[in-house]
Amino acid sequence: MNKLAEYDGPILEIDKLSISFFTRLREIPAVMDFSVTVQPGEAVGLVGESGCGKSTVALGVMQDLGKNGRVVGGTIKFKGRDLAQMSPEELRDIRGNEIAMIYQEPMASLNPAMKIGKQLMEVPMIHEGVSKEEAYARALEVVTDVRLPDPERMLNSFPHQLSGGQQQRIVIAMALMSKPALLILDEPTTALDVTVEAAVVELVRDLGKKYGTSMLFISHNLGLVLETCDRLCVMYSGEAVERGSIKDVFDEMQHPYTQALFRSIPLPGADKNARPLVAIPGNFPLPHERPSGCNFGPRCDYFEEGRCDKQDIVMEAVPGNDRHHTRCLKYKEIDWNAPITLGEQKEKGEVGDVVLKMDNLKKYYEVAANALFGGGQTKVVKANETLSFEARESETLAIVGESGCGKSTFAKVLMGLETATDGQILLDNRNIESVPIEERDTKTVSEVQMVFQNPFDTLNPSMTVGRQIIRALEIFGIGNSEAERKKRMLELLDLVKLPRAFADRMPRQLSGGQKQRVGIARAFAGDARIVVADEPVSALDVSVQAAVTDLLMEIQREHKTTLLFISHDLSIVRYLSDRVMVMYLGHVVELGSTDQVFSPPYHPYTEALLSAVPIADTSIEKEHIVLEGDIPSAMNPPPGCPFQTRCRWKSEVSGGLCEKDVPSVKTLADGHQVKCHLSDEVLARMQPVIKIAAE
Amino acid sequence: MEPLTTFEIIARMFYQFTSVWVALILLFAVSMAFKRRLGLYGKLYDSPIGMVGFGLVMFWVFTGIFGAMDLIVTQDALAQVSGMKNKVPGTPVSGAEEGQYGWYLLGGDNLARDVFSRMVKGAWIVVQIAPLATVFAFMVGITLGLPAGYYGGRLDTLLSFLSNLILAFPVILLFYLLVTPEIVATGVPSYMATVLFVFPIVFLAVLLNSRFYTQPKFRTPLLIGVLGVAIWLYLSLISNDGAIVATDTYWIPGIPGILDLFDIPGGVLVVFVSVVFVNSPTVFRIVRGLTLDIKTRDYVAAAQTRGEGPWYIMLWEILPNARGPLIVDFCLRIGYTTILLGTLGFFGLGLPPESPDWGSTINEGRKLLSVYLHPALPPALALLTMVLGLNLLADGLREESLKD
Repeated sequence: MNKLAEYDGPILEIDKLSISFFTRLREIPAVMDFSVTVQPGEAVGLVGESGCGKSTVALGVMQDLGKNGRVVGGTIKFKGRDLAQMSPEELRDIRGNEIAMIYQEPMASLNPAMKIGKQLMEVPMIHEGVSKEEAYARALEVVTDVRLPDPERMLNSFPHQLSGGQQQRIVIAMALMSKPALLILDEPTTALDVTVEAAVVELVRDLGKKYGTSMLFISHNLGLVLETCDRLCVMYSGEAVERGSIKDVFDEMQHPYTQALFRSIPLPGADKNARPLVAIPGNFPLPHERPSGCNFGPRCDYFEEGRCDKQDIVMEAVPGNDRHHTRCLKYKEIDWNAPITLGEQKEKGEVGDVVLKMDNLKKYYEVAANALFGGGQTKVVKANETLSFEARESETLAIVGESGCGKSTFAKVLMGLETATDGQILLDNRNIESVPIEERDTKTVSEVQMVFQNPFDTLNPSMTVGRQIIRALEIFGIGNSEAERKKRMLELLDLVKLPRAFADRMPRQLSGGQKQRVGIARAFAGDARIVVADEPVSALDVSVQAAVTDLLMEIQREHKTTLLFISHDLSIVRYLSDRVMVMYLGHVVELGSTDQVFSPPYHPYTEALLSAVPIADTSIEKEHIVLEGDIPSAMNPPPGCPFQTRCRWKSEVSGGLCEKDVPSVKTLADGHQVKCHLSDEVLARMQPVIKIAAE
Repeated sequence: MEPLTTFEIIARMFYQFTSVWVALILLFAVSMAFKRRLGLYGKLYDSPIGMVGFGLVMFWVFTGIFGAMDLIVTQDALAQVSGMKNKVPGTPVSGAEEGQYGWYLLGGDNLARDVFSRMVKGAWIVVQIAPLATVFAFMVGITLGLPAGYYGGRLDTLLSFLSNLILAFPVILLFYLLVTPEIVATGVPSYMATVLFVFPIVFLAVLLNSRFYTQPKFRTPLLIGVLGVAIWLYLSLISNDGAIVATDTYWIPGIPGILDLFDIPGGVLVVFVSVVFVNSPTVFRIVRGLTLDIKTRDYVAAAQTRGEGPWYIMLWEILPNARGPLIVDFCLRIGYTTILLGTLGFFGLGLPPESPDWGSTINEGRKLLSVYLHPALPPALALLTMVLGLNLLADGLREESLKD
């Protein structure tokens, strides 16, 4: 073993680190005056919005900044040795051996042409020169540790044969192969579904304890950090603004940005009246346009001119707490417990008549087994199974489910991009289930519109913003002349609260949230009555999420729009929806008002989903339910109840009914439907998953 | 008169190219001054490789243009001067008349013509044919590649199969077949021209119609105007002496000679057709691949959900976003086409034997290469630098388009 000698100081000490990237125009400081210490066995979270420099810190630790990046100040010490002083050979020895890193995309971290086992065995064979047999034994042990079923078969398969969750477990296993002293996790679960994420997070936490590994956990999700870490460091625009233990930072935050961040995320424990979202005003500053003095100054409620923007602000220790630091001049003056000042409370529009009705909608796809010559056996993929629900005017119906549950297929059928296999869709009592979009009249098309998920993909990159909205107006036949349409386009920009000057901008000049606003403006170009919002905020930063969510709700109030809000994020669903529909493998497993769905009795899947949502609130206690395995493929669904393979209540149903029959829809209370075999009595026994702990 | 020394030859050639130098310096100065406002073209000036490439290409483009204007050439490119056969560079012209340039700067070829002037004149042929043929190949490839990628299924299978078929066929053999007098006599190249040159018109018509069909008052005059001109050009292009296809047995009438804007010599037409025919399948495959990728983007879905027609989506949503790789490929492909033209000339296919194009000149120079090096070398170097320039330009563009 060529590990560094026994050492009992801090594993990682970053002291006043500054990293800059050099482009041909200017030097761009990515990280400034950043300090953090990781003690042995400690997990430190690094939280911040995209572009705040958290990943750059990780790359700095790995000494892998590319040819444009350079450490311009400060030191990174690993086990007391300065990484910058090491030779490439020493660094190579440390990387993957003493410091391991786990990235966001599991598929991108695995070599697709190499079997899993061989990739895992490489690690100790290269770093420690152990024999093949020993390496294999070790790989087997680690794969068992990351709780993968059938480890021997796993070692013998290629990465593409595994699901996303399994791949990420393999990546974790690979990182653990050399028993590293420090594990850096860079958004390790962002690409995974919530229930899978919950399982991976639990695994990381347990393994951290078992192996005694120190962890640097990078995430934008405060809830995840709460669940995994001991200490945390909040970053904003290249600087650490607050750092301390989880408890100190969550309960006694001492920096306005941390506070604003907490106020802009919805918590599933509280509803929108008790705890409204407060968006952070303004935009994240670009790295070369940072203000003088406090970086957060222009967006801060407590900003004081002439003081906060005078000089660079240093980290100050908060007295009384354990290693709690903040980068705020006024932290002693701010009343941190002051209640949130609410903007004017707007009444929600009255829910009106039924606009959209789905009745037993089915969508099956036929997939040819042999694509080249057709013929042969065809497989049927049941993307949507007997979907029935109603949506009313100015109502928000949330559709919740993980990837592969059929939400997107349903949206496609509604939009007319696909036609239904069976059942009907009634829009104002007109059947539209088998009318493809080419045959729909302009009015129908403009009434049913969609807001897309990925802000970076939703606008055509080679057309100006104004042009794209005008095009939608042209298509919907609005306005008689170019001038009229231009006027309407500017009004739409006002509607989504974008400056009119944006009409001439190209999409690449806009931030993610701004692009999403343009997408919303475009959807409302033809006065849409039904808007399908497909995860409209999931790709945005938390501070922007709140603003976009509020915008959607405001437009809904004004236009009496029916909003079909597709999401996997139960916090935001709780915040804005009137009714919730939970889908699993093409089935609607639960449907009811928000309160009904979020309190027991639950469908077992809803229960697991609720438990999987990371909540950034230390006062909340969650029941811990981890689903085993992955979502089955829609190509090959399990017999009987679709959820039976992962259900923890299955034993409560006698006679193996779950494996035989698809449960029928059971109406529990007024409008609350559950598709489950569990008896009423068992359902009544269910406990709430999320509890607010008594103070 | 005395023969020129090497230094004098270089100095005199440099002087002959004065107009090209001026044009190049002007172009670079203006472009550098406004480079931040010129998009991708402006960014080219941040990349040394791209600048060198662009400079080389523009050198030959200007040479071609000014050569055609008789600014650079020193002698008549086709005239044979007795006593100048295979003379070395810098030889004074025997019996030079008043006003005639006194030397063969790069010597004479084996038919006693001025190598320097032929090289300059040859540039014009390359600069004319190569980009134009590439443009046509792109039009064909794009018009077929977009629907193949967008619709997929049977159409894709069929079109991809056809393009593979063409790609699998040996190119040189295809050329030999196309220029064989017997095949020309059956009118096959004319038919191919008739078919291939329709694509730009279809492309233009669909492009404009899909964009403006919501405003008929604007669309109809625009389409009539643009298509009228395009069809006129098309008919002029494919008709010769009032006939589209003229064989011994039958003839298909084209537009009468008075309306015919220009005549393309039969040989050039064949070269043009074959270059387009051979290049378009590759373009087709690139466009198809890009379409397959881009059609999964949300903005394409957004266009679908607001009820846009498929051609609008293909031409206005997908194609503009595929432009990066296509521009790079366009540069590379002009290079290939230049080489292809050289190859065709080298084999004596297509262009008339006395044509000063680089391929033919290299071929003629080849015959006495072991004795007289100088007639073959200048056109070979010209071809080399031009293709090198195009490749460097493509590299520069690719590098710059990947940044930011």
